[in-house]
Amino acid sequence: MAGPSDLITVSVPPDSESVQVLRAVTASVAARMNMPYDGIEDLRLAVDEACAWLLALAEGATSMTLRLRPMDDRLEAVVSTDAAGRAWPPPDLEESLSWRVLSALVDTVSLDAEASGPSIRLIKRTLEPSRTV
Amino acid sequence: MSAAGRSIGSTDREVEVALFKRLPGDTAARDELVEMFLPLAEYLARRFDRRGEPLEDLVQVASVGLLNAIDRFDVERDVQFSTYAAVTIIGELKRHFRDKGWAIRVPRRLQEVGLRVNTVLPVLSQELGRSPTVEEIAARCEASPEEILDAMEAVQAYSTTSLDSPVGEEGAAPIDVLGGDDPSLEILEGWASIAPAVKELPERERRVLYLRFFRGLTQSEIAGEVGVSQMHVSRILSQTLAFLRGEVLEES
Repeated sequence: MAGPSDLITVSVPPDSESVQVLRAVTASVAARMNMPYDGIEDLRLAVDEACAWLLALAEGATSMTLRLRPMDDRLEAVVSTDAAGRAWPPPDLEESLSWRVLSALVDTVSLDAEASGPSIRLIKRTLEPSRTV
Repeated sequence: MSAAGRSIGSTDREVEVALFKRLPGDTAARDELVEMFLPLAEYLARRFDRRGEPLEDLVQVASVGLLNAIDRFDVERDVQFSTYAAVTIIGELKRHFRDKGWAIRVPRRLQEVGLRVNTVLPVLSQELGRSPTVEEIAARCEASPEEILDAMEAVQAYSTTSLDSPVGEEGAAPIDVLGGDDPSLEILEGWASIAPAVKELPERERRVLYLRFFRGLTQSEIAGEVGVSQMHVSRILSQTLAFLRGEVLEES
């Protein structure tokens, strides 16, 4: 069962150059959980999008953090920055491209305002859902 | 910030503005500006250092960026020159890496692995009836899982002609086969209000977006449908999303 010891945390400077690091770490952890290639690709894209979304609001931030929590049948990835005082989650979510993209790429998306700053939580199942198409 | 700190800052700023006001034509002023900001160029060049290029070459490239920045800077604008110069220099460094192409930046071994993954993916997906895991791909490619992950990451950053080649013999055909209607155009209208740039996308890019985000196809299914490799689908998706977010503008 997932406990605090299963949590993987990586902090990077809040800039677009660093997103690659978070993407690579996510892919590496997902691969070790035997997530299928398609799923890893989706999750990498989702981390990209989530980081870009937070970076657009990250003025004054000093770090961007990724927390990965592998569970039995899913991987939870939380991206956050320490940009304080932002209106988060933004209003009119349905009108946000990032929201729509994330919703399509992962099984669950939620936006939270943590004390330290805004965060985006993504959950991707490791097993591919059976396809009927 | 202390009053002393501010005054030092403003003195620098005044010197800077005075020098810029003597441009163009005053080569001494230009030289002085170059000297003032060369450390910035060197600092930025070092940030690109671990990509397998001699540092001197990178400093050279960064210096070209600095010269361009000096020539183009508009002193009347309410922007610090250092900010403007950093953007221009980073742009020049990125262009340098982009222009040199995948062949130089990506180690040969990784290129080979990337090509093998490209070939193996559709075969394995067919055999297994699902998307393979990285471990399964690694076993088939006779590579380590880390190498497969590195190849996945590398393909995002760099383009390469061989990886862009269609898998089948008729790469461009499927779009035509579908007939005259382009459903992606109509359905992406839904995105036009939230991402106006969607209208500027080429047909293939629009179609990949449509298949992924409106039809919910997986990357491997899209690869089959559009007639390109899955790695190429992956790159189309990430670059198209970046374009819609406006990130491409910053590089051009």
